[in-house]
Amino acid sequence: MTNPDTTGPGGASRSDEQVAASLYAKAEKIYPRQVHGLFARLRVLGVLGLLGIYYITPWLRWDGHQALLLDLPARKFHIFFVTLWPQDFFYLAVLLIIAGLVLFFVTALAGRVWCGYACPQTVWTEAFLWIERKVEGNRMQQQKLDALPMSARKFRIKGTKHFLWLAFSVWTGFTFVGYFSPIDELGRNLLVFNIGPWETFWILFYGFATYGNAGFMREQVCKYMCPYARFQSAMFDKDTLVVSYIPNRGEPRGSRKRSVDPVAAGMGDCIDCTLCVQVCPTGIDIRDGLQYECIACSACIDACDDVMDKMGYDKGLIKYTTEHAMQGGTTHILRPRIIIYAVILLAIFAAFGYSFSQRISLGLDVIRDRNTLYRETSDGLIENVYILKVLNMDNAEHQYELSVSGIPGLTLHKDMAVIRVESGGIMELPVRLRADEADLEARSNDVVFELVATDDDSLAVSEDARFLGPR
Amino acid sequence: MADKQVPKTQKCIAVLWPSFMVAVVATGLFFSAFDPDDLFPFGEQAEVSRLGVYSIGFLLFWLVSAISGIGTLYFAITNCMRQNPGSRG
Repeated sequence: MTNPDTTGPGGASRSDEQVAASLYAKAEKIYPRQVHGLFARLRVLGVLGLLGIYYITPWLRWDGHQALLLDLPARKFHIFFVTLWPQDFFYLAVLLIIAGLVLFFVTALAGRVWCGYACPQTVWTEAFLWIERKVEGNRMQQQKLDALPMSARKFRIKGTKHFLWLAFSVWTGFTFVGYFSPIDELGRNLLVFNIGPWETFWILFYGFATYGNAGFMREQVCKYMCPYARFQSAMFDKDTLVVSYIPNRGEPRGSRKRSVDPVAAGMGDCIDCTLCVQVCPTGIDIRDGLQYECIACSACIDACDDVMDKMGYDKGLIKYTTEHAMQGGTTHILRPRIIIYAVILLAIFAAFGYSFSQRISLGLDVIRDRNTLYRETSDGLIENVYILKVLNMDNAEHQYELSVSGIPGLTLHKDMAVIRVESGGIMELPVRLRADEADLEARSNDVVFELVATDDDSLAVSEDARFLGPR
Repeated sequence: MADKQVPKTQKCIAVLWPSFMVAVVATGLFFSAFDPDDLFPFGEQAEVSRLGVYSIGFLLFWLVSAISGIGTLYFAITNCMRQNPGSRG
């Protein structure tokens, strides 16, 4: 086996055959043992908080509309008090870049906290594990059940689990689509089984992905599919917080009675109970050193601290630490890498904030009439015809004043007396410009349309156009 | 055969997963620039909703990038076999 991706830096203890057998086509099922402790509580808090945000957010209302609705059919994104249009895609792209940089920054500082507490893969896997434990029992009961041949009892238990998983997945898919299509309408349609074909497709697609990823793929997504797991080591340095076993203290490991004095017996603090391995959701042995499979969930810390307590040893045989601290040095939080990430992040964030605050919620598009270049009116003037598209991206209705400049004596004629556009509305406005041939300097002349809201001077845009004549 | 050493599931995911991510990005970029209503000025898409056009667009992007992925996988495996005869890929 020559695939370097399947062996982590610490995976040397496994033989080639074992690695080949654990490729994700036929991976052995991992039964993570339930763990209690500080970090487990933090993770439950994170999971509940994030799941709550995910399932509740689409139901929130803001100012008469769904608070967060990425309305794809209507081509506008409602994000609380902001409405984004396709023209604003740039802001979304910058937001994604900022999110990426925040991830870099956090990774350099605190390691893979994202993986252990906030990644959707972790969050939904935890939820699915919880359901599995409620239905099938603890780790040992699960293993025993899986070893049994199929029976009515096993079928009933497995059936219940999969039914609950599927129901949860479909609800997840429904919620997902609810971010893109008004969820109250979607809910009403769901009740009468009258959902559009594409909404149905996406609910099932996302539901199926949830079921597969959180129910079956689990840690294999992190090991084999996650791009972040592959490149996160590039952000790591010797001052990054990692979950680590302290070999100097633990070795030589070995089981012993509680009454045995490890120093006298020449033993380290590790009693080789393998609880750290049993609780690991990715099935690694943290004592083999830092491995790319480790998602820094710190379940092993909780498990080991518990054991150290029972043995009467100090906690922290496995703990959050840095490479520098382990080598007996000090950890530097402020270091060039952190400062550079922070400066770039602040700069982009400030530029984003400024640019966003200067965003004008008014759009003007000028389209020349394609049928005729120009025509002569009965009183000898040259006339050009345009279609103006006025897009009100503000959250209130406005009335606008239109003016045009660029040619002396240029006059503007339109059929509509007032230009009034509702919030989110688009108005098509045919206009005619007239000028005296004597005032034209060339065949093609530059003119500028200017549109200003009558009640707000800051809502102003201008758009260039061409005025054609015989010259 | 070296390509027998790589499990089928792994090959499928290696093709489908990255192309899925590319398709998501491509769909976002494409449809933020083009409104489906403007792409079909003669009303051909009248029977398909905007969401349907987006979805079909996404599936096409996925298909195209998956085809490219199959090519990459094929050449990576066959070239690897040629350069390291007897290797297990």
